[in-house]
Amino acid sequence: MHIPDGFIDARTAVTAAVISAAGLAAALRRVRLTFPAHRVPLLGLTAAFVFAAQMLNFPVAGGTSGHMIGAVLAAVLVGPSAAAVVITAVLIIQCFLFADGGISALGANIFNMGLVAPFAGYVIYRAVLGRSSDLRRRLLAIAFAAWCSTVLAAICCAGELAFAGTVPWRAAFPAMAGVHMLIGAGEAVITALVFSAIQRTRPDLVASDRATAEPAYGTALALGLLIPAGLVLFVAPFACPWPDGLERVASRLGFAHKAAQPLLASPMPGYTFPILKSAVAATAVAGLVGTFVAFALAFVLARVLTPKPRNT
Amino acid sequence: MKMNAIEITDLRYRYPDGKDALAGVSFGVAGGECIGLIGPNGAGKSTVLLHLNGILPEKLDGDSAVRVFGDPLTAVSISNVRKTVGLLFQDPDDQLFCPTVFEDVAFGPRQFGLTDSEVGGRVGDSLAKVGLAGFENRQPHHLSQGEKRLVCLAGILACEPEVLVLDEPTSDLDPRARRELKALLQNIPATKIIATHDLEMVVELCSRVVVLDQGRVVAEGPTRELLSNETLMLEHGLEKPHILRHSHPH
Amino acid sequence: MHHDFLDKFSRHDSPIHRLSAPAKLTSAVLMVILTVLCPWSRYGFFIAAALLLMAVAALTRIPAAFLAKKLLLLEPIALGVAALSLLQPGGLHIFLFILIKSTICLFSMILLSGTTPFADILAVLKRVRVPAILVTTLALLYRYLFVLIDEAERMQRARECRSFDAKPTNAWRNLAAVAGQLFARSSERAERIYAAMCARGWK
Repeated sequence: MHIPDGFIDARTAVTAAVISAAGLAAALRRVRLTFPAHRVPLLGLTAAFVFAAQMLNFPVAGGTSGHMIGAVLAAVLVGPSAAAVVITAVLIIQCFLFADGGISALGANIFNMGLVAPFAGYVIYRAVLGRSSDLRRRLLAIAFAAWCSTVLAAICCAGELAFAGTVPWRAAFPAMAGVHMLIGAGEAVITALVFSAIQRTRPDLVASDRATAEPAYGTALALGLLIPAGLVLFVAPFACPWPDGLERVASRLGFAHKAAQPLLASPMPGYTFPILKSAVAATAVAGLVGTFVAFALAFVLARVLTPKPRNT
Repeated sequence: MKMNAIEITDLRYRYPDGKDALAGVSFGVAGGECIGLIGPNGAGKSTVLLHLNGILPEKLDGDSAVRVFGDPLTAVSISNVRKTVGLLFQDPDDQLFCPTVFEDVAFGPRQFGLTDSEVGGRVGDSLAKVGLAGFENRQPHHLSQGEKRLVCLAGILACEPEVLVLDEPTSDLDPRARRELKALLQNIPATKIIATHDLEMVVELCSRVVVLDQGRVVAEGPTRELLSNETLMLEHGLEKPHILRHSHPH
Repeated sequence: MHHDFLDKFSRHDSPIHRLSAPAKLTSAVLMVILTVLCPWSRYGFFIAAALLLMAVAALTRIPAAFLAKKLLLLEPIALGVAALSLLQPGGLHIFLFILIKSTICLFSMILLSGTTPFADILAVLKRVRVPAILVTTLALLYRYLFVLIDEAERMQRARECRSFDAKPTNAWRNLAAVAGQLFARSSERAERIYAAMCARGWK
């Protein structure tokens, strides 16, 4: 899901970078305040772990393999703010040392995978978990949250591509969301399996996330505003029923989209590929259904992974 | 009587999970001496070493069982102690944590507030001392185990400690690297405490040994005398080193 | 997947290698920014940029085969996304536009990484006041990446030696176990690193 250079225009890149910088600053501040000194190296090692884990090939049918992104896993292991720092570090290294993701797109990539994925995922995780500390419930929450985070990050990515005029929303949304609903299933299973493995050998490492659950009103507020703001900016215009929503929003905000103009060669507001229009609706419906399916599958997965209690 | 460089008096330590690691360890090391700390695995050798510059106990309060040149270890004296006592860890990968050799060796001196040129000078000198002049820009993961060990040693020497504490310095070294390290250690004048399984090296470098078993000192004395005592050695998970089995030196 | 780091040749010598890290970083970023900003009508810029990069590449003395391989390795997903752009009026224009721009930017970044050791880039980040926690995390990530990858490979191999059942579910279970162990070891290593840092005066 790494956006390369040239796929988003300057306006999108800068907007995303500004939002990401703000979000990252909030996350860093939170880490500075809540991480004791002796845990700081853990950030670097967790980042190396996430990177290494992303390289593991989980075989899927026919010679292909799935990989983990690890945002929710990191969020559950070290807390969402630390996870944001960790994933950002991974993205920066991937950008510089593998050209995986462009440097101008770093803001967007960090927003999708370093902020939305871990934070939205963590919020969903805690929502499903409630006050329970039951292992099965935790696995369910983790698996479901991992799926959601993958899909949400993909939707944001689609939003950025559409905002930049690179890919029309009508194509980006179905393609990205659709594909990542499947990829998300892999993410859910892998995340749950890995968490379960850690829990078995070192339960103390995943003991309680009470420590990371302290009310952090400043950070929560900041991120609570930023993520919806970004989503509104990138995604909402397309979610609008009006097909020319983007043009309207753009003109109202006075954006001079000079760079984009030559690209929208024939901006006929009502023009659509008929198939695509229904694809958006279909994807939205699939998403809704998919969410329930994902939850059900996560439920089953959690049952499978939880050791049966011994009846004495 | 001349004060010992390191004086440990009735050191006790318990792991966070309740297990006893040290049940009253006492011994002293005179300035300039080189002693070997030997014993079976799990005896508590590493745990003792971690107490020598305040890594353990996790909280330093009350009387410290460790005295460095007569001064007890306190929360205040700790930063000074860490300059005086240099600790070489068992796994060089744990200690070599910077992206380049230069930065890693410079890490210690930089904490002392030296100027950039002073730091550069110390780094150059230390690397030369361990025979790795010119390695400044190398990256840790491209180095061999032996080279990593030497870089770690350089990093410690750059802090100019008076006491050198080494945890298993020759484990996983090939014979050549081992010989080089031994020669190096012989030429460093600091007080040395070496925890090791390498009994041959102990015979060659250490005048005295302290035998640790199950968190206690079970024997202490001149190296050749103790290591030649086969009963004692076997009783504590060790053995008489080959170098002492022959009546004539090799 | 990514065993071939881009900074493989970063410690070699050439006129480009000898330039300062801030200069190289700034030039690369500038090239990317200009490329992204450039409208389709000014396609002369792209030609000039491509020629300039090729000249720089020649000066770096990095093997052309290596550069070519990295350049042509645009991820299939990215190509797929780019292909989606065809599904709109003027799509072909956009598609070509994207490919040309992203290739030029990719080339710049490859040259940057190929001539600048990551440690130098970190030093630049430190100087422009990137928060210390992030820089430390990046440094440790870079340092321990290989260590962890090696550990993971060893654990994988050890498991495979004792795996007699080729079922995919076992493969997934094994991989997850390896990942779990990897995190546990990383966590312990982090503590030891902290101890090592303290032992040398870190406060």
